[in-house]
Amino acid sequence: MTGDRSTRTRTLFALLLKAFPPDFREAFGAGMLEQMLVDFGRAREAGRGHAAIFVVTTAVDVVRSGIQERLRPTWPAWKSEIQGSPSKAQRRPRMTGTLESCRKDLVHAARNLVRAPGFTVVSVLTLGLSLGAGTAIFSVVDTVLLDPLPFGDSGRLVYIGATGPGSDLPDEFDVSAEFLIQYREESGLLEDVAAYNSFTNTLRTEDRTERVRMSMPTVSLFETLGVEPILGRLPTEEDDGRAALISHGLWTTWFGADSSVVGRSYYMGGESRTIVGVMGPDFWFPRDDVLLWIPQVLRIEDVTPGRFGMPLVGRVTAEATPGVLAAELTRLALRLPERFGGSPNYERFIRENHRAVVRPLEKELLGDIAGPLWVLLGAMGIVLLIACANVANLFIVRAERRQRALAVHTALGAGRAQLVRSLMAEPLVVALLAGGLAVALARAGVPALLGAAPADVPRLGDVAITPATLFVTLGASVLCALLCGLFPAIRASAPDLGRLREAGRGATRGRRWSRDALVVAQTSLALVLLIGSALLVRSFQELRSVDPGYDTEDLFTFQFAPDQDRLSDGPSWAAFHLDFMDRLRALPGVEQVGIVENVPLDEGLSSGRYLAEETAAGREPALLRYTFSGGDYFDAMGIDLLRGRTFTAADHVSQLGNVVLSASAAELLWPGQDPLGRRIRNRDWGPGWETVVGVVEDVLQYGYRGTPEPMIYYPLVRHDPNPFPLSSPGYVVKSTRAETIAPDVRALVRQAAPEAPMYRAYTMESLEARSMLQLSFTMLTLGIASVLALVLGAVGLFGVLSYVVADRTGEIGVRMALGARASEVRRMVVVQGGGVVLVGIVIGIGVAAATTRALDSLLFGVGTVDVSIFAGMATTMLLVGLLASYLPARRASAVDPVRSLKAE
Amino acid sequence: MTSPQRGTLNTLEYHVLLALADGTLYGYALKEAIERESGAAVAPRAGSLYRVLARMLTRGFIEEVEPDESAAPHPGLDRKYYGLTPEGREMLRLEAGRLREAAALAEHRLGIADPGP
Repeated sequence: MTGDRSTRTRTLFALLLKAFPPDFREAFGAGMLEQMLVDFGRAREAGRGHAAIFVVTTAVDVVRSGIQERLRPTWPAWKSEIQGSPSKAQRRPRMTGTLESCRKDLVHAARNLVRAPGFTVVSVLTLGLSLGAGTAIFSVVDTVLLDPLPFGDSGRLVYIGATGPGSDLPDEFDVSAEFLIQYREESGLLEDVAAYNSFTNTLRTEDRTERVRMSMPTVSLFETLGVEPILGRLPTEEDDGRAALISHGLWTTWFGADSSVVGRSYYMGGESRTIVGVMGPDFWFPRDDVLLWIPQVLRIEDVTPGRFGMPLVGRVTAEATPGVLAAELTRLALRLPERFGGSPNYERFIRENHRAVVRPLEKELLGDIAGPLWVLLGAMGIVLLIACANVANLFIVRAERRQRALAVHTALGAGRAQLVRSLMAEPLVVALLAGGLAVALARAGVPALLGAAPADVPRLGDVAITPATLFVTLGASVLCALLCGLFPAIRASAPDLGRLREAGRGATRGRRWSRDALVVAQTSLALVLLIGSALLVRSFQELRSVDPGYDTEDLFTFQFAPDQDRLSDGPSWAAFHLDFMDRLRALPGVEQVGIVENVPLDEGLSSGRYLAEETAAGREPALLRYTFSGGDYFDAMGIDLLRGRTFTAADHVSQLGNVVLSASAAELLWPGQDPLGRRIRNRDWGPGWETVVGVVEDVLQYGYRGTPEPMIYYPLVRHDPNPFPLSSPGYVVKSTRAETIAPDVRALVRQAAPEAPMYRAYTMESLEARSMLQLSFTMLTLGIASVLALVLGAVGLFGVLSYVVADRTGEIGVRMALGARASEVRRMVVVQGGGVVLVGIVIGIGVAAATTRALDSLLFGVGTVDVSIFAGMATTMLLVGLLASYLPARRASAVDPVRSLKAE
Repeated sequence: MTSPQRGTLNTLEYHVLLALADGTLYGYALKEAIERESGAAVAPRAGSLYRVLARMLTRGFIEEVEPDESAAPHPGLDRKYYGLTPEGREMLRLEAGRLREAAALAEHRLGIADPGP
């Protein structure tokens, strides 16, 4: 009976204790319960009335204290652990205790954050958006730049080319076959070396005919790269040109991953060849769209010295550096004329000008895109830093609200590390939420990013959110938490006993300073991004305003390569294409049709050495790009005729030996003279002379950044009886239907040459856009980053000033009570904000001047330190800063002196 | 770094420090000591007493300590023993001084003769 009752009483008291927070109960519940039970026993001894009064008064006391404790805790959660009872500490291993308290910190932080939804949403969104953008870019960088090349020990692979300072050759160019032979036999530093290339040609199987990209490397390529096929075998010297290796992609898409494909023969690259092996899914070389490799043997007797244009890849011995190897190769090349012969000019070039160029293969294969990608990753890092600064600011404000309580804890023995840990829990929770959001955003955003990226970036198709990306995002989140939380946490936990006396109001100079520092950092970083993207925008404008010598509007271009057996000689080949041009002209909406060997901005042209009839013996023949053109090519492309005439139908069929020169070619051969009627010949092509009948405007074949190269245009058949290269010409169709005409053209092609697929079908406008894609892609992404940075920076400044204004309400009230006008108060706040922004701008200009060099390869028509852009962006930043200050300033000037003083 | 703040103790807080100045005590013994020493003027209920204990612990004036060897075993009860920290002792000294001054002032005003030198 008694036992029953005491159990009920005990249950009642235990229930009352629930008024207290769990942590408090855990620390003191036993003691409180003991006191209540013992006192209750004494009260019962004094009588039932006493007992009843005791229960009621105790209940009131415990519930009231419990509620007070919940509202104004004397015993924060972390305290339970710090001052955990010694007996408890003995029972539990220390590590578990720390983990447990960390878990408690996190749970507690999560609860606090749920209670402040506005703060939480803003912080998570701010960090999440920036982290998401960074994650997306990182996933690209990770796949394209960080994944080692899919070759054995790829660090020892180098690209080998040449340069010829002092000659008229380009800055850098690929070597020719004799170099390969010489290097392979003589070099002590090269373990192996191979030549490679890539081009598009026809691949035909039982049911499919397409132009695909393929490569004709030397047989040694695969051993040099250190790769093996996953199926079949590597080709040997005996296979010479009759065997092919196919890519994993081709194997799965064309052949359904059927392993019996090895041993079968198909028409590829102009003749039937046998598939001997299938490469692994990771393998790509030298571009990721090469679908098959046809290894060849290079024979000494086939070598013509000086036929440049053969890139080499070598595997160096472990100890060789690029510089040492380049010196050795330059030395080895000196013996080339002696061994292989060649013209006196070639001999002079080798003796006086040639220097071997050696650089890591990775740079050669990824070179162009690496710079912009790193710049973008850097930009995203900057945005993330700015976002962190914003969130750090929010946390500083939040921590200051708890300043008084924290100061008490700190002053009176709570370990600073413990305090910091408990204060870090909230930023950590926020950052981890942001990390999750970032991964989701990146997952959704990567396809869009890839859609906008230049197509020639290798391995873009493989970009995905990999475990490595997740790991880095997690790391970045934790770093964000540190940046966002550690600063405010250390500040807040620093001993500041003044807080005990003050009511926790009023920012001290020190804290103001730290918030200002964050705004300065934000402003300067945002300005760096603004300047960077403004430089790119200016470059893009400059590039767009370049006159390439041709139009890009209303032009559709394509290629197709009719079976060459039918068109084995120049005239029949020309006749076929002249006829096909007529058919195209008959299509509705077509104005003009022309052909050229390769359309500008699409593919490149070969070059040769040309002699003018008057050229003095011994003088170096001029280096000209050569091409052929037919139909209305010049008219359709809007390439102006400057002198003489362009080709007539007779030129194309009758081997009259007429040519058209570009203006710079005419100037190069006969400076200041009339070129019409003068004669010219290719040094290596036999004795026939060609007569110049016209001069046309220069064109930019390789993109708007270059300078026009001197060009010679042949008609479809040359004076020389040899057929023209019989390559597949590029067609240009001038039509207002350029965007939509492709299906009609494809139907015509199918009629005229069922065996030849139409390919490289573009509008000139899309080629133009493609030629600027690297710039426009970087510009777009960097632009987004800088706008994000600007907005975040403005929000940060606004937040800080708002807080400062709220903090100084009393002071402002006094000022206004003493007669300060609203406009003066506004000015005071704006000047304060503007001053901080100005410091940021000065630093930002300095940082920008030091870092815009990273953009150098993308810039066009503008220097890395462009005064007008620097000034313009700094002004923009200042205006945004002043605007962000004005809004809090208005609030400050609306302070009611009476109310604010009463609040004091 | 911790110079205790002056004059911020309420009566119960003062009596907690006063009781512990005599040696370490567990919760109920502390409560009994307070009642005894205050002449039953201060008889804290559990809720009030333990919030004050929590506050004193948080502020570092008292600390949890191992019980004396002489402490009676108390099976089934998770008793915690509390002791005064140097800061608590200093705080108590300051408070006692303040009370002495206040008492002297009161006696002076009431005309109770100051024995004086």
